[in-house]
Amino acid sequence: MAQTPSADVDRSRTQVAPSEQYNYDIVKKFAIMSIVWGVLGMGVGVWIASQLAFPFLNFDIPQITFGRFRPVHTTLVIFGFGGNALFATSYYIVQRTCQARLYGPKLAEFTFWGWNLAVALGVITYMLGYTQGREYAEFTWQIDLLITVVWVAYFLVYLMTLLRRSQPHIYVANWFFMAFILATAILHIFNNLAIPVSLFSLESYSLFSGVQDAMTQWWYGHNAVGFFLTAAFLGMMYYFVPKQAGRPIYSYRLSIVHFWALVFLYMWVGAHHLHWTALPDWVSTLAATFSILLLLPSWGGMINGIMTLSGAWHKLRTDPIMLFLITSLSFYGMATFEGPMMSLKSVNALSHYTDWTVGHVHSGALGWVAMITFGSMYHLIPRLWDTQLYSIRLVYVHFFLATIGIVLYITAMWVAGIGQGLMLRAFDEYGNLSYTFIETVVFLHQPYVVRALGGGLFLAGMLLMAYNIYKTIEPVRREAARQVASGRTETTASASRA
Amino acid sequence: MNEPGHEQQSAPGKPGEVETTGHVWDGDLREYNNPLPRWWLWSFYATVVFSLIYWLLYPAWPIAGTYTKGVAWINYEVEGEPQRSHWNSRALLLRDMQTGDAAVRQREFLQVIAEADHDTVLSDTDMLAFVNSYARGIFGDFCAACHQTGGAGIIGLYPNLADDNWHWGGTIQAIEQTITRGRMGYMPPYRETFDDQQADAVAAYVLSLAGHEGGDPEQVSLGGAIFQGYEGGCYACHGREGLGLKSQGAPNLTNDIWQNIDVTGAQSHAERQALVRDLILRGVQREMPAFGDRLSPAEIRVLATYVHQLGGGL
Repeated sequence: MAQTPSADVDRSRTQVAPSEQYNYDIVKKFAIMSIVWGVLGMGVGVWIASQLAFPFLNFDIPQITFGRFRPVHTTLVIFGFGGNALFATSYYIVQRTCQARLYGPKLAEFTFWGWNLAVALGVITYMLGYTQGREYAEFTWQIDLLITVVWVAYFLVYLMTLLRRSQPHIYVANWFFMAFILATAILHIFNNLAIPVSLFSLESYSLFSGVQDAMTQWWYGHNAVGFFLTAAFLGMMYYFVPKQAGRPIYSYRLSIVHFWALVFLYMWVGAHHLHWTALPDWVSTLAATFSILLLLPSWGGMINGIMTLSGAWHKLRTDPIMLFLITSLSFYGMATFEGPMMSLKSVNALSHYTDWTVGHVHSGALGWVAMITFGSMYHLIPRLWDTQLYSIRLVYVHFFLATIGIVLYITAMWVAGIGQGLMLRAFDEYGNLSYTFIETVVFLHQPYVVRALGGGLFLAGMLLMAYNIYKTIEPVRREAARQVASGRTETTASASRA
Repeated sequence: MNEPGHEQQSAPGKPGEVETTGHVWDGDLREYNNPLPRWWLWSFYATVVFSLIYWLLYPAWPIAGTYTKGVAWINYEVEGEPQRSHWNSRALLLRDMQTGDAAVRQREFLQVIAEADHDTVLSDTDMLAFVNSYARGIFGDFCAACHQTGGAGIIGLYPNLADDNWHWGGTIQAIEQTITRGRMGYMPPYRETFDDQQADAVAAYVLSLAGHEGGDPEQVSLGGAIFQGYEGGCYACHGREGLGLKSQGAPNLTNDIWQNIDVTGAQSHAERQALVRDLILRGVQREMPAFGDRLSPAEIRVLATYVHQLGGGL
């Protein structure tokens, strides 16, 4: 591929070009797939949001109805877009911060094909109507096994690369990635313990039943948020924010304290998804209080990220990548404040089973996870291909499309969720419920339209990014192909562009 | 290069700013060693205090097969006996249903209505207002899925409740019966009984009953003979005059109100006749489920009163 010897050798500041010192090929693959799945996943997201506003869009075609497309959306964005972005950045960061080439190139290659095969198989089986029925873990048991093998390979590649490091200290980003890999392994295995109906059946029965099954599901579900969508993306943040800002991390001490507090506390809070159900009351209490305890440790990451820019605030005026990174941290702070509030039983009584939850998830998913990924990708991709971004102006446009999209999305869901929650508990002067359920659903229509619009803007930004990245990479690849074709093995073309 | 070592100048800071830890990664990644922000630390302690208080009040920590109960007691009643228990969601629900504002108000009204007779309810403004407020909710949750929000139904699927034409009777008692037991609406198909000519004739006669002119007089008279005679036997349910029979749920055919076919929407007499003929040939089979085991007698009474008022009539 683009691994032809390049003119980087004559750069004065390094002995060897980074593209030779490190395995960039695998990082490139994951980065590209992240964008591919991202476009698809967000596209499906806008589609199902529109289905909720305009149900005729289901067209009575089973494969594309909301029920099947919903896990398609979550799987594509979490595991396709987010997962590939994490593989890409973690493989990049672990090499750069350990100054060591990635261990096991074949194994790393296997994680790429295995992971993306799992995502693709998952999406196809959901559309055909096969699901395990566990939220964010809808994969049938065969795909679960594939993921397990991939994850063990990932763990090995990552750990062995860490052991190869030429630095005595392990950089903070790697702590978070390591915690993410370990915790995700445990979550995935225990949540998916199931007995298949038969060897050739896609169906299986969970090993747990009743409230214990629900507990296991949400212990997994919330820690998927905690470790997959938070800890790992904090790892991303801890590398790309100081890199892009050119400033040291604000506080080493804070990073230690908030890291351990975060990984310890997250494991307790999953049950807050099950308030006011058959769950024992004491479990609810622990989940609620540990969620409150989690607030400040979560904010530790935000503080460390935002304060890293202290003294270089002017970069926000000139650098749209910095805008992405810092805005993502602001949304992270907002979502991690909102979450503990919603996990209090009294607030949850209002918010649960309403779109407030959906809005909360998306302020984290769009605001934090996607924005930090966009910023990181805009930093990462030109470096991987040793070139410059095709258009900084498009990055600005992307930023504003994404931000306006998120704001529309979240506010629409606040209106929908809080509105419906209040309608469901409203009594009239006779002590009767003021609204029928269907009236609360009718009320949702307008917020749903606005939400679809917000999602549409976010998707438009994502498409711009895909275009920008394509135009960034394409000339490099064409140049490389031309060199191969003309039989020349060295040129100064890429160096002069850089 | 990039050996870890203490950096002096490379992380420029304002005077008095803390130093970095001295570690360097990837060329330029460093860390300041700032202390934990004071406000952050104290806020964290505050959440700890909050949690401690929370644990003191509510069930919290599992210990030796049981759990700490907390001191936020809940008082409620079981069969008139006062009970006190630690905070738990079951007791909370009981207390709310026993002493909560809305629950108490609703229960008082329901008790009065359960004991009052129908005419009293219909003539008492206060009770009627309660009935309409309460029943609008249950109607919306239990009935509107078929009969639609305003009770207008859907032609061909679900009867219209918002007019004064009742298949099974429009008195409150009759409607109560309908809701409690459910209804099976049935007209046999005449596919095997009538030939085309006979079916056309009966259709023409039925339309003439409803006042639609323009049918072939010969057909009408032949249809009348079949309707009233042994061959059709339609009169057995619909009556000699075609006025229907509420005990059978047989509709009145003379009022030009059509629940199963859109006769009034049809453009020509021929079209109308085809609609009626097809209905006669295929028959009718409809079911309304029983709600006696899903709604309490008081709720059914409230609902029946509400439905009765939608269209009035008997």
